Amino acid sequence: MINVLFFGPVAERAGARQVNLDFREGLRWQDVRDTLRARHPEAFEIVSVVAVNGRRVGEQDTPPLADGAEVVFMSAFSGG
Amino acid sequence: MNDTVRLQTEDFSLDAEVAALCAGSKRIGGIAAFLGCARDFSGEREVREIAFEAYHDMARAELSSLRDEAIARFNLIDARIVHRLGTVSAGENIVLVVAGAEHRAPAFDACRWLIDELKARAPIWKKEITPQGESWVTPHP
Repeated sequence: MINVLFFGPVAERAGARQVNLDFREGLRWQDVRDTLRARHPEAFEIVSVVAVNGRRVGEQDTPPLADGAEVVFMSAFSGG
Repeated sequence: MNDTVRLQTEDFSLDAEVAALCAGSKRIGGIAAFLGCARDFSGEREVREIAFEAYHDMARAELSSLRDEAIARFNLIDARIVHRLGTVSAGENIVLVVAGAEHRAPAFDACRWLIDELKARAPIWKKEITPQGESWVTPHP
């Protein structure tokens, strides 16, 4: 299982704070994004930061996800 | 209160954080602090409250990294960062950065650097609650 989290404005647009996706060998975070972007296009319009297991990742990061991985899609931060 | 980096719903005390910083070393000769508060307006709108939400584990780790980086980069003796989560009323405290160094210049520089980096790197979002409704804040410099 892949545990996907949304926060703040992304969660509001997605209408969900957490989504679980089935795990399969070779799954990358980009595959998770593509699957969920098709379901929640408005939410992904504002996604600019992605984290896997608490660490920021970029497009160049392509290692497969482990079963149980946590993937978070976030908009630009506005704390402080 | 003992933790040098905290995300918390309850208010904090500038005096208590400065006292905790000073308690750790008598080499500190300069302390700079940045205290961010909730304004009661945004543009032309009245703001009653601001709601903060964080990706808690990552935010805390990021604040801890920022503190470590600031200590190394500016040769600080110590630094503390506190950010509130949940709902904050207009006029209340939001965030506090305190930097202690042997001299004032690195304390000032580190304080500015810490709050700027916090805004850019900590996964925290705020929503303004106004009489007309609620809206997430788009970050600006």
